[in-house]
Amino acid sequence: MEQVTCFMPQTLQEALEIRKAYHATVLAGGSDLMVTNSMGAGITPKFSGPVLILTGVKELKGIHQNADGSVSIGALTTSAEISRSPLVHPLLIDAASRMGAIALRNSATIGGNIGNASPKGDMPQPLILLDAELVLKRVDGERRMKVDDFILGSKKTALADDEIITEVILPPQEFTHIFYRKIGMRRANAISKLTLSAAATVKDGVVVDFRASSGAAGPKVARSRAAEELLIGKKLSELPAVKEEFLDAWNGVISPHAMPEYRRNSTRRMLAYFIDALAAGHPAGRVE
Amino acid sequence: MYSDVRFKLNGEEKCYTGDPLRRLLDVLREDYGLTGSKEGCGEGECGACSIVKDGELVTSCIIPIGAVNGCELLTIEGIRDTEKGKCIIDAYAEGGAVQCGFCIPGMVMATYCLLNKNPNPTEDEIRLGISGNICRCTGYDLIVESIRLAAQKGAALWNR
Amino acid sequence: MAATRIGDRIKRVDAVQKARGEAKYVCDLTFPEMQYAYLVRSTVPRGKILNISLPDFPEGYYFISAKDIPAKGKNELWMITKDWRCFAEDYVLYVGETIGLVVGPDRGVLKELKGKIKIDYEEQTPAVTIDDGINCVGGPMFPEKNSNVMCELFCEKGRPMEEVFAEADEVFEETITTPYQEHVHLETNSAIANYEDGKFVFYASAQCPFYIRKSIAGLLDVPYDDIIIRQLTTGGAFGGKEHFPDVLCGALLVAENVIRKPIKMVFDREEDTQFSVKRHPSKCIYKSAIKDGRVIGVQGHIYYNCGAYLSSSYVVLQRGVFHGNGVYTFPNTYLKGEGIGTNTFPTCAFRGFGAPQTLFAIETHMDHIARHLGVDPLEFKMKHLCKQGDETTTNGHIIEEVKLPEMIDVLTKESDYWRKAKEYAPGSGKGIGISLYNHGGAFTGNGEQAIIKAHSLLVKKGGKVTILVGSTEMGQGFKTALRKICAATLGISMDDVDYPDPDTSKVVDSGPTAASRSTMIVGRLVERAALQMKERWNEGDFSVEVEYEHPDGYPWDQATFRGDAYLGYGWGAAIIEVEADKLTNEIKTVGIWTSHEIGKAIDELIVHGQINGGVIQSLGYGAMEKLENRKGYFRQKSMSDYVIPTSMDFPKQFYHIQENPYPWGPYGAKGMGELVFNGASAAFVDAVERALNTKFHSIPIPPEDIEEALKNVQ
Repeated sequence: MEQVTCFMPQTLQEALEIRKAYHATVLAGGSDLMVTNSMGAGITPKFSGPVLILTGVKELKGIHQNADGSVSIGALTTSAEISRSPLVHPLLIDAASRMGAIALRNSATIGGNIGNASPKGDMPQPLILLDAELVLKRVDGERRMKVDDFILGSKKTALADDEIITEVILPPQEFTHIFYRKIGMRRANAISKLTLSAAATVKDGVVVDFRASSGAAGPKVARSRAAEELLIGKKLSELPAVKEEFLDAWNGVISPHAMPEYRRNSTRRMLAYFIDALAAGHPAGRVE
Repeated sequence: MYSDVRFKLNGEEKCYTGDPLRRLLDVLREDYGLTGSKEGCGEGECGACSIVKDGELVTSCIIPIGAVNGCELLTIEGIRDTEKGKCIIDAYAEGGAVQCGFCIPGMVMATYCLLNKNPNPTEDEIRLGISGNICRCTGYDLIVESIRLAAQKGAALWNR
Repeated sequence: MAATRIGDRIKRVDAVQKARGEAKYVCDLTFPEMQYAYLVRSTVPRGKILNISLPDFPEGYYFISAKDIPAKGKNELWMITKDWRCFAEDYVLYVGETIGLVVGPDRGVLKELKGKIKIDYEEQTPAVTIDDGINCVGGPMFPEKNSNVMCELFCEKGRPMEEVFAEADEVFEETITTPYQEHVHLETNSAIANYEDGKFVFYASAQCPFYIRKSIAGLLDVPYDDIIIRQLTTGGAFGGKEHFPDVLCGALLVAENVIRKPIKMVFDREEDTQFSVKRHPSKCIYKSAIKDGRVIGVQGHIYYNCGAYLSSSYVVLQRGVFHGNGVYTFPNTYLKGEGIGTNTFPTCAFRGFGAPQTLFAIETHMDHIARHLGVDPLEFKMKHLCKQGDETTTNGHIIEEVKLPEMIDVLTKESDYWRKAKEYAPGSGKGIGISLYNHGGAFTGNGEQAIIKAHSLLVKKGGKVTILVGSTEMGQGFKTALRKICAATLGISMDDVDYPDPDTSKVVDSGPTAASRSTMIVGRLVERAALQMKERWNEGDFSVEVEYEHPDGYPWDQATFRGDAYLGYGWGAAIIEVEADKLTNEIKTVGIWTSHEIGKAIDELIVHGQINGGVIQSLGYGAMEKLENRKGYFRQKSMSDYVIPTSMDFPKQFYHIQENPYPWGPYGAKGMGELVFNGASAAFVDAVERALNTKFHSIPIPPEDIEEALKNVQ
C-alpha cells in the first residue's frame, strides 16, 4: 500500500506553508475524515493526497471575547468546549451539546464541522442564523466570509486550496426570544434528521428582528431573508395575519431529498408555534 | 520519514515512529497489545473503543495516532488495577452490568470520566454520561445501577 | 467454601474478566504467521456471473472460490437443509452472496486486491419484497414449482372459517407488516481457522459449535472429527450467530485446506450490517369474526420474507404460525404460513425466532378491534385469555396454569393503568398501552427428542466438577446459571464447578444454544447428571453422562403439525406509557412496566438483565430500528444510520417476575431469553396510537412514519 505524506505542524505559520506547498487535506479532529477515508479495522485510512494534521497547532484552540463584543472561536475548539462556554450564544451551545455522542464532542471541532459542510452538520445551522463569519488564512493574507457564503452546498465550500479556517467570529447578537430543536434519529448520540433555530427581538410590541435557520433540510442550511422580512417590523398583533405567508415562503426554501413531507411539516409546525408564542406575548427568553 | 509521535500511554512515555494516519485504536491493539479497547463500529458511533485522552473520553477508532502528540492516554489496561478502576469493575460485577461484555471496557472508561467529573451523579446524568456507549444486551438499567453503586462505594475516591 | 444455593445473589462468573478487558474475543486472538481474509461478495441481487477477472496476486496472496473445493466435496452448507452454497458459481441470488475470499498477510493489500477483482454479471430483475416474491417478480425462484414459496404450513382448529365468518356480526380484516431487524451484536461476526495436528481448528464467535462442524464438513468431505470448533468469548449473538458462522467458517475451511496457516476473518461493522442474516420481515393478513363483542374466529395468512436461502426459515415460520393466536383462545382458527423466497440476504434466527412478528400482529389487531368496538384493549384482551387445558391452535393443550391474570393485576396497579387509560383522551399526546405475549420453550413438539437428542457430561476430579457441554455463553449468563444449577444440586460451591468454553473435540453435544432451551433443557440435563453424581459422590473420580428424555403423554406429529407444540410457555405482559411531541412527532417513553412468568428464576440478577435488554431491543424494533431494502440493497449500512437505543432513549424499567414452577425444568425454570423480546413493541405502538389517536399497521414508527399515519387518518 502506498503511504501518503502526512504533516504534523506545531504552528499556524508552518501549517499555512504546508497548505500552500502541498494543498494537503486539513484534518482537524478527524471525526469525519477518518470515517470517510476508513478502510476498516487494522488498515490505515486511505487519503487521496497529502494530509495535514492540524491538532498540534495550539493557537487555533480556545474562545475569547473581542473588544467589539464579538466572540472568537478558534477553529480547533471542540464541540464539548463550545457547549461549556459562557461566552457562546445559547443557540450554538444547543447545537454543540447535542452533536453526536460525548466522546465525539471531545474530538469534533467547529472548524472541521464547517469545513466538512455536511447537510446534516450541527454547527452551521445556528452559525448561519447568527450571521457568523469565518477567518480564512493563507500564508500571505486572510479574508473574512460569512458562514452562509462559505458553505456552497452539500460538501462544497469556498475554501481555497491554500487556505485554512482559523477562526469563527460570532457577532454580538441579543434576541429577546429564541427557539432550538434538533430531531435526531434517537434521543442521544444521533445524526440530525432535522434541526431548527429561530430567534426574534421584540421591542415595544414590534418585531424588530426575526430569523430562522433550518438544518438537514436541504443541501445546505436553509435561511430565507425574504421570508424573515415579512415579519420584521410587524406588530405582534399583526403576526397572525402574516404567519401563513411567512410559513409558505419558508416552506419554499426547504429542499430535502428524503422525507420531504415530514421535514416541511415539522418545520412549519415549529415555526408556527414560535410565532404564535411571540404573538401571545411570551415572556422574553427561550420558547420551549 | 515521519516525525515521531510522543505521548504518555497508561503512564509510560511512548514514541511512535510509523504512519501518523493509522487509527489510534489499531496502534493500541496491535502495536502495544492493549486489546481491552474493542472495535464495534469503526466510526465513533458505539463507544466500544473509548479511551481517555487528556482527561476526556474519546473514541480511539476515529483519531489518527498523529493527533495524540503530547497527549496523555489511558486505556482500560491503565485503570483496571487502580483504586478507581477496581471500584468501577467491582460495582459492574456486583450490579449485574456485564452480559456479553464487548461494550464494557469502553463503558468502564466512560464511567471513569463521568465519576471523575461528577462524583455523585443523578440517574439522568449517568444516562447522559454513557449515552455514547452502545450496549445491545443490557438495556442499560443495570449499568446505570452499577455506576450509582460505584459512586456510592467509591465516594471517597471520586471526591478526592 | 459454602455451598451455592439457587436463591443466592451472586456475581456473574465472567463479569470481572470482561470488565477488565481481559476476555479474549476472536478479534483479540493472534497467531504467528497469521493471515487475514475478506469475503468477495456479489454486488448485484440476481444475475449470471459472466466473468471473474483477477488482478495479479503477489506471492502469498490467494483468491479462494468454489474451484478450490476438492472433487469429493460439495459446495453446500448444511444448515436445516443444504441449499446455501458456500461459494456462488455461475449465478448469484442476492447482494452479499459469497463468491470467494481473498487471503494473505497484509490487510491493506488484501482490500486493494479485493477492490480490483472485476466480476461481470448479466443482471436479472430481483424479487425483493414479500409481494415481489408472491408475484414471482423476475421469474420464479423455483421454476419446478413455478413459485417463490420456500416452505409452508397451516394449522386449523374448530369449524371451517367460511361458516364462522357467515355467522359473525362483523368481520374485521387488516394487514400488518413488520420489518427487517439487524442483531447488532457489538462484536461483529468473526472466526479464525487453523490447521493443528492434522485437524482443522476453528476459533469462532458462535452460538452453536456443533452446527458449524456439521454444516461445513461436507465441503471437504471429511469426518466430523477432523474439524474442531472452539468457541471463544462471544460478544452477543441474539440468533445472528446461530447458523451464520457456518458461512464464515465454510469459506475459511476451503481456504485453510489450501493454505494451512492461521487465517483470521473479522467483519467490519458495515459488512455485518449489510451482509449478515436478519430478522424476517413479515406480512400478516388477519381476518377476525366478531360476534356479541367477542372474537369467535381468526384467520391469519402469514408471510415471512426468507431471502434467497432457507437457512432456519421453515422452523422460524412454524414458530410464527404457532404463536399466531397470541395468548388467546379463539374457538375457531385457521393459520397459514408461507415462507417467501426473495433475492435478498437470507433471514434467519433472531431472538423470538418468528414469534415476535405474529405476536405483534395479533396484539395490534386485538387493539384495533377493541378500539373499533369502543372498549378498552386490555378489557377486551382479558375476555379472550387462554387458560390451562384450553385447546391450542395445533389441537394440543395448554399444559400449565396460565398466570396472566395475576401478572396483569400487578402491572395495572404499578402503572396505574386503569386510571390513565381512562384519563388520557385519545389524541391528547399522552397514551398508555399494553401487550400480552408468550413464548413456547425449547424446540417445537418432540424436536428435542427426535432431532436434538441432547447430552450433558459432568466430570468429577477430587472435589471439583467440570461441565462439558456444547452450550455457549454469548452474554445471556448461561455459564453462571449452569454452574449455579450444578453446584446447588451437588451441594458444593460454584467455585468448585468449571464450565469451559466448548470445544467440540472435548464436550458432548447438548444441542444448539437457541430456542430459549439452554436453562430448561440443558440445565435440566445437568441437574439430572448432578443428582446421579451426588449419589455416588464418594466413589472418587468419575463422570456422568445423561441424555434427554421427553415426558410421556404429550404427542406431536411433525408431519401434520398437530399436538402439543410446547410443553411449557413463558408468559409476559408489558405496559408502556408515552408522551408525544405534537410539533415533531417525537415520542418519549415515560414508563415501562413488565411482568414475566418464567417458571423460576435461576438467578434473579441475570433474569433482570435479560428482561431489561430484551424489552429495550423490542422497543428499538417498534420505535426506531429501520432497515430498508431497496432493489436488493440495504439502505442502512452502519451504526450511524441503523440506530439502536442508547441509555437516553428509554427510562428505567419496573420488572416483575412471576413464579410458576415447571415440572420438567431445573428447579422449575423455563426458558426466558426470547420471551422478554416478544411484547414491548406492541405495547409501545398501542400507547402511541392512543396518544395520537391514530392507527399503525407497520413498525418501526419513527417521526416521519407517524407523519404518514396521521395524514392517512385525516
